[in-house]
Amino acid sequence: MTLTQKRFIILLIVVVAGAVLGRLAVRAVMNLLLGGTLFGGNFL
Amino acid sequence: MKKEKQKGTHKVLWGFIYVGAFLATFAVSAVVKLTADPTGGKFKAEWNDSVGTVYTDLTYGEKPANKFDLYVPADSSKDSYGLVVYLHPGGFTTGDKSGDAEMLQGLCSKGYVAAGINYTLFTEENPDANVYTQSMEIKESMPYVVAEAEKLGYHIGEMAVGGGSAGHCLAMLYAYRDADTSPVPVRMVFGAVGPSSFYPEDWTNYGFDKDTAEAREGAAGLFSVMCGAALTPDMFGTPEYDEAVKPVSALLWVDENTVPSLMAYGAYDTMQPYLASVRLDKALTEYGVPHDYIVCEHSGHGLQNDNEQYIEYMRKLVEYLDTYLPV
Repeated sequence: MTLTQKRFIILLIVVVAGAVLGRLAVRAVMNLLLGGTLFGGNFL
Repeated sequence: MKKEKQKGTHKVLWGFIYVGAFLATFAVSAVVKLTADPTGGKFKAEWNDSVGTVYTDLTYGEKPANKFDLYVPADSSKDSYGLVVYLHPGGFTTGDKSGDAEMLQGLCSKGYVAAGINYTLFTEENPDANVYTQSMEIKESMPYVVAEAEKLGYHIGEMAVGGGSAGHCLAMLYAYRDADTSPVPVRMVFGAVGPSSFYPEDWTNYGFDKDTAEAREGAAGLFSVMCGAALTPDMFGTPEYDEAVKPVSALLWVDENTVPSLMAYGAYDTMQPYLASVRLDKALTEYGVPHDYIVCEHSGHGLQNDNEQYIEYMRKLVEYLDTYLPV
């Protein structure tokens, strides 16, 4: 695997992590305000 | 030496790209989550002059908040129309009928005359307002709403009432307590997350279920303000207490004549007691009242974590309207 390929794989992982954590952060804040569980129900 | 320096620069550059990409996707994903319609726009209606007209801030009383908006369909050729009233949320202290414009437009686009009604909120300027006075304002508003529709050429034959949170509480009170005095027959009630009774053991969200003097005092204090009645901790569990809170407890008006009810609640609600909805469901079942009780098992007051159940609630609402208030 070339260095560029490795960098793009890392970039993909970073983007997925950002998307997941962004939604999870909103859910956590909403749960603090309104109540609710962090997992279960909707996907994130 | 030059090559090594270039390599180091690349490393820093990619480091920035990773951080930038993370922050950008984090922000976009958060905004999408916040703004996305859980139903995917399935229940959103188009609104323009060919669909209907809205008349805003019509008066029904002397208080500044005694206003309502009336949405009438463009087709005024029918002999009779169903009226659907939707009462706004806001914890009895905030909110406005304009916040429900989308819901009211949707109802109107289905062929109903729809109304959003404001009520005097409990604020520093209105410290005497409470759930009871608000429910009485709603009761007083109905003849005005019907009369205004008639004036515009829409004869109202029957009605449904609904609301969100505080509005749901007031809607249930109107449907269960005041339906007999309604200017037109009330056919059904619908809503989400509205408190329907005031038993301290159900209000676990505020810790009123704890067996301490502080919890009992807290419950008596909050419920006194909400009910506009002088309640004391020693009244809990007595028939005298039930009598005192009955004017604002939809649950205590449920009987075999109660109208069909559609309701949705969040099992982790921190604003109002989920356990009170369990009690309400039980009462409706015992009296054989046609009803649907949708529980969002992972959600709180916003029903925010269970899109499937929320869509089911909206789907059921359409079904209820088609059944009990056909256009």
